Amino acid sequence: MRPAQAVRARSAARVPLGLCALVAAALLSSGCGLHPTGPTDGGRAPTGVAPGMTLYFVDGDGELKAQQRESGRLGSVSDAVSLLLTGPGPTSGLRTEIAPVPTTRVAVTTAPDVLTVVVPLSVDEVTPQGIDQIVCTALGAHVQQGGSTGTKVQVRFTLGTAESEEHRTCPLIG
Amino acid sequence: MSPVLGRLRPRGLRPRLVVAFVLVTVLGAAAAAWAGAGSAATALVDGAQERITGEVADRVGAAAPELAYPPDQDALDRLRRDVGPNTLVTYEDMRSADGTGPRLVTDALRGAVRERDRITVQRVAADGRPWLLVGVPLMITAPDGGRTPSGIEVYAVRDLSGVQDQVDALTRAAAGASALALVPAVLLALLAARGVLRPVRDLRDTARRLASGDLGARTAPQGADELAELTATVNEMAESVQTSMAGMERMRADARRFASDVSHELRTPLSTLTAVVEVLATASDRMEPDDRESVGLAVTETRRLVRLVEDLMEVSRFDAGSVRLRVEEFDAVGAVRDCLRARGWLDRVELEGVEGITLRADRRRLDVVVANLVGNALRHGEPPVRVRVTATPDEVRIEVTDDGPGLPEEVRPHVFDRFYKADTARARTPGSGLGLAIAAENARLHGGGITAENAGGGGARFVLRLPRDPGGQEKQEEGS
Repeated sequence: MRPAQAVRARSAARVPLGLCALVAAALLSSGCGLHPTGPTDGGRAPTGVAPGMTLYFVDGDGELKAQQRESGRLGSVSDAVSLLLTGPGPTSGLRTEIAPVPTTRVAVTTAPDVLTVVVPLSVDEVTPQGIDQIVCTALGAHVQQGGSTGTKVQVRFTLGTAESEEHRTCPLIG
Repeated sequence: MSPVLGRLRPRGLRPRLVVAFVLVTVLGAAAAAWAGAGSAATALVDGAQERITGEVADRVGAAAPELAYPPDQDALDRLRRDVGPNTLVTYEDMRSADGTGPRLVTDALRGAVRERDRITVQRVAADGRPWLLVGVPLMITAPDGGRTPSGIEVYAVRDLSGVQDQVDALTRAAAGASALALVPAVLLALLAARGVLRPVRDLRDTARRLASGDLGARTAPQGADELAELTATVNEMAESVQTSMAGMERMRADARRFASDVSHELRTPLSTLTAVVEVLATASDRMEPDDRESVGLAVTETRRLVRLVEDLMEVSRFDAGSVRLRVEEFDAVGAVRDCLRARGWLDRVELEGVEGITLRADRRRLDVVVANLVGNALRHGEPPVRVRVTATPDEVRIEVTDDGPGLPEEVRPHVFDRFYKADTARARTPGSGLGLAIAAENARLHGGGITAENAGGGGARFVLRLPRDPGGQEKQEEGS
C-alpha cells in the first residue's frame, strides 16, 4: 500500500470514531439536567375573590332578583345561604319566599356534580320560589368559588320528604 | 493522527472486531438507556411541576373566598402565608414578599401571567440549583360564570433540587445499564471473531506450508461465504502450482537421467579409444612429424573428453544425490601440499599455512576442490598463484589467489555455473567447464562453501570455507 493510500484509509477509519464520540456526547448532554425554560402555561387560574356575596330574593313582580351584599369577601356557600335565610332587609324593596327561622345554621357538602345544602327548614316553610332562592344563592356562590355552572343542587329539608332527594338547577344560572 | 492514538489503534482482526462490537453495542445500549431515562426524567419533571403548580393553585383557591376584596396589606400577607414560604403576592402597587425566592421572578413571567390570565410556570437556574416559578393570577367569577382578573397575583418559587437528584439517579442507572451491555458485547465479539478468524488462520497455515514447499497443503472450505471462496481459490492456485512444479520436476529429472545415461554410454567406447590412442602415441616416435602432431592432438583431445565425461558423471551423481562423504581426519596443509605435488604444481604455486590444522573431511573431495581452484587460477590468472590455509576454531579457510585481471562484475555471479565460459573467444580451454561447479558442490556437501571475489591487488580470489567437523555440525543442526 502506498503511503498516501494508508493515510486515506486511516482518516476514513477516524471518521466513524469521531462520529461515535459526538453521538455519545450528545446523548450524555441531553440525557440529564433540568434546563431553564421560558414561561409556559400551567393551567386554569384559581378564582374565589369577590367584594361581597350574591343573594337571590323576589322582587315586586314576583321575579327572582340578585342582591349584592358588600361583605368584603366572598365567603362560603353555607355563609351565603345562612345570610339568605336572614331575609332581604327592610330597605331593599325585595321580599323572601322563605319563612323566618330561629336558627340559620346551614350545612353544605360537595360531591363532584352535586352540591348538597342542608337547611333548617321543613318543606312546608318554603314556596317553590323560595327553593329557587336557596338553589340560586348556593349555586352562585359555588360558581364564584370556581365551581361549574352545570352543578346540580340538592336541598335537604328537615323531616324526610321526597323533595329532599330532588337535584335542582337555578333558572337564572347555567 | 497523534502518535499515541496510532499506537492505541488495534492491529489484529480480533481486537478490531471486539472494539467495533463494543462500540456499537454500548452506543446502542446507551442510546436506548438514555432515551428511556430521558423520557422518564421528562415525566418526572412534568409530574413534579404539575404537583407543585396544583398545590399552589389549590392553596390560593382555598384562601380566596375568605380573602377581603379589594385587599389591604393584611389580606395580601395572609394570602402569602397560606401559600407558603418563598412567595410573592402583588395587588396593584402593593406587594407582600417572603424569603429570597421572589427576586427570581422574571418580568417575562409577570408579563405572561397578566397577558394570559392563566397559571404560568417557568424554570430558572440560580445558585446552581433549578427553581420552578409558578405565577398564579387570581380571578373573579360572576355567579353566571364570567371571569375577570382580580388584579391579585401570586408568585411561588419552589426548589427543584429533589427532582434534579431523582433525574441524576435515573441517569446513573442508565449509564450502569449501558456499562452492563459491555460484557455480552465482548463475549459476542469474541465469538464472532472466532468464527471469522478460524478459517483465516487455517488459510494462513496452508499458505505457510505452501510457501515452505509442501505443495500438497490444502484447506477444506467451510460454508459458502467470501472466506470459503477465498479458500477454494487458494486451493485452485496450489493445485495449478503443484501440477506445473511436478511437470518441471519430471522434465529436470529426465534431463539429469539423460546426461547420466549419455556419460555412462560414452565411457566404454571412450576407454577403448583411450587405449588405442595410447598405443598410437607410443608408436608416434616412428611417424612422420605431421602424423605425430595429429596423434598428439588426438591424445590431448581424448584425454580432455575422458575428463569431461568423468566430470559429467560426477555432476550426475551430485544431481542424483548419491554422493556420500568418506570423512577422515587429516592435516589441511599437508593435504593441500599433496594435491599440488601430485599435479606437479609445487614450483608454480606459493603455499602458505602452518602445519597442524586438523580437518575432518573427505580427503579425496578436498583434493578435487583444491585442484579445480588452483587449476582454474593457473589457467585463467597470472602467476604468482598463492594458496593460503588459515583456521578458526570452527572452520578452515583455503584461499586461492592469483595476480590476473580478476573477475569482471558480470561474470562473478556465474563462475560456479555449469559450462559457463567467461571468455567466449577462448572457448577451447583445457577445462571441462564443470570444475568450479563440482568444487562448489563438494564444498556444499561438507557444509561449507566457496565465494569468488576480487583481491585488493586486482587478482581473483576464491575462498573455500569448510567446517572443521562436518559430522559434528550436522549433529548440531539436527539438535538446534
